[in-house]
Amino acid sequence: MTALLHSAGLVLMIAGTAFLAVAALGVWRLPDLLSRLHVLTKADTAGVALIALGAACLAQSFTATLSLLLCTLLVALSGATTGHLIARDHLDFASSQEDSP
Amino acid sequence: MISDFAFLISGAGLICLALFRLATSADLLMRVLGLNVLAIGIAMVLLVSARGAEGTDAVPQAFTLTGIVVLVGVTAALLALAERVAEARDE
Amino acid sequence: MMLFDSVIAAACLGAAAMALFARDRIAAVAAFLVMGLLVALSWLRLGAPDVALAEAAIGAGLTGALLLRSARRVPKASAKALPPAQWLGAALLSLAVSGAILWTALIVETAAIYPALVNEALPESGVENPVTAVLLNFRAWDTLLEIAVLFAALAVIAVVKPVHPRIAPLGPMMLPFARVVLPLTIFLAGHLLWQGGHAPGGAFQAGAILAGGAIALGLSGMVRPIRWGRAALAGLAILGLGAFVVAALAAELLTGALLGYPAGAAKAWILAIESALTLSIAATLLLLFIGPAERH
Repeated sequence: MTALLHSAGLVLMIAGTAFLAVAALGVWRLPDLLSRLHVLTKADTAGVALIALGAACLAQSFTATLSLLLCTLLVALSGATTGHLIARDHLDFASSQEDSP
Repeated sequence: MISDFAFLISGAGLICLALFRLATSADLLMRVLGLNVLAIGIAMVLLVSARGAEGTDAVPQAFTLTGIVVLVGVTAALLALAERVAEARDE
Repeated sequence: MMLFDSVIAAACLGAAAMALFARDRIAAVAAFLVMGLLVALSWLRLGAPDVALAEAAIGAGLTGALLLRSARRVPKASAKALPPAQWLGAALLSLAVSGAILWTALIVETAAIYPALVNEALPESGVENPVTAVLLNFRAWDTLLEIAVLFAALAVIAVVKPVHPRIAPLGPMMLPFARVVLPLTIFLAGHLLWQGGHAPGGAFQAGAILAGGAIALGLSGMVRPIRWGRAALAGLAILGLGAFVVAALAAELLTGALLGYPAGAAKAWILAIESALTLSIAATLLLLFIGPAERH
């Protein structure tokens, strides 16, 4: 059981790292702000959640799992909110540019 | 041991970069930022030299913690002064 | 782990170079934030989790917020071309200073006298975390003066009084965010405060996290910075310093030593002082961000 959980944790963490790597690649390669945000908010949250799940499998303790859950919740919340704020600011800026050329 | 050396190099490098920036920049905000980087570099060197056989020495850790809190106060005061300087120039 | 440490150390340097030499200010502050988190990670690797927590919360988080707030308000200096001699001199001098520091750190053999003393006195200090013991028992004097410095910074800002344009609310998503985050920060701050006795944590980290939550609520635009609110915050900021001074004097009367706690009751004294400090540090940091008063 322990060995199974251990390998499951490793697989989850590798998957999470892959998600984060894809997000980094997306931010680097994509052309404009909105598509970058699109990549960043989703892949980032998913990557962190997967890594936290993997770490919880490896740690196998209740308190560690609780704090990992809290981390995931906070990353998801703040990632979504900052993504929204940046996009909103960008759109405001773009429309003000259109109004007063 | 090699890890400690890597962090020591990093701390000294931070000090070098920050000093260079402080000496060559006239921009007040970048100077405040440089001061912060300088303090972090010094803290890094202090923490590396606090390493010993029985773990990290608690006294330099407490110094560093005090330094971080004092630094945020200094940063806020300097930024307020910088904003005031800008206003005085405008008036 | 050696590879990991080397990569982290190099990444700190890279982020610092980006922060210091970026043309755009927002990019510079963003790089500074990244550097703060990387530095916190490397201090964790250096076995200093208390300092790493404080760096992540105060050094990266709050300082980053302060710089970002001021980025639009402090005008850019006109980029005058410096004479090459000055560039060369600056480069040589900074290389020489950092080289000397590196050489000293490598050559000088330090005799570690503190760990033995700390370990010896730890059982009577009332707490099990050596860093908290140093901060609030062995060298409590330093911490008292540190709070005084924080208060002095607040006084400087109150005297200088730059015009703080009302910080614009950040859009409708910010309020639900603050509604979830503020209770979490209060919970976390309480946890860190209690945990400081036996594990990494303490008043400074707890106060910084509380201030972060309060700033999130302030940015949602729901709480108008009204005058009595600021007065209450300023009162709270004084409370920590006042409580600490009262505790120092009471300890002087009881035991004859300034900040020498009565034997056996050290834990209660430290917890009481730390609780007052947490609220006071949170109020001070919040006031440092929003400004202690508005000029008319």
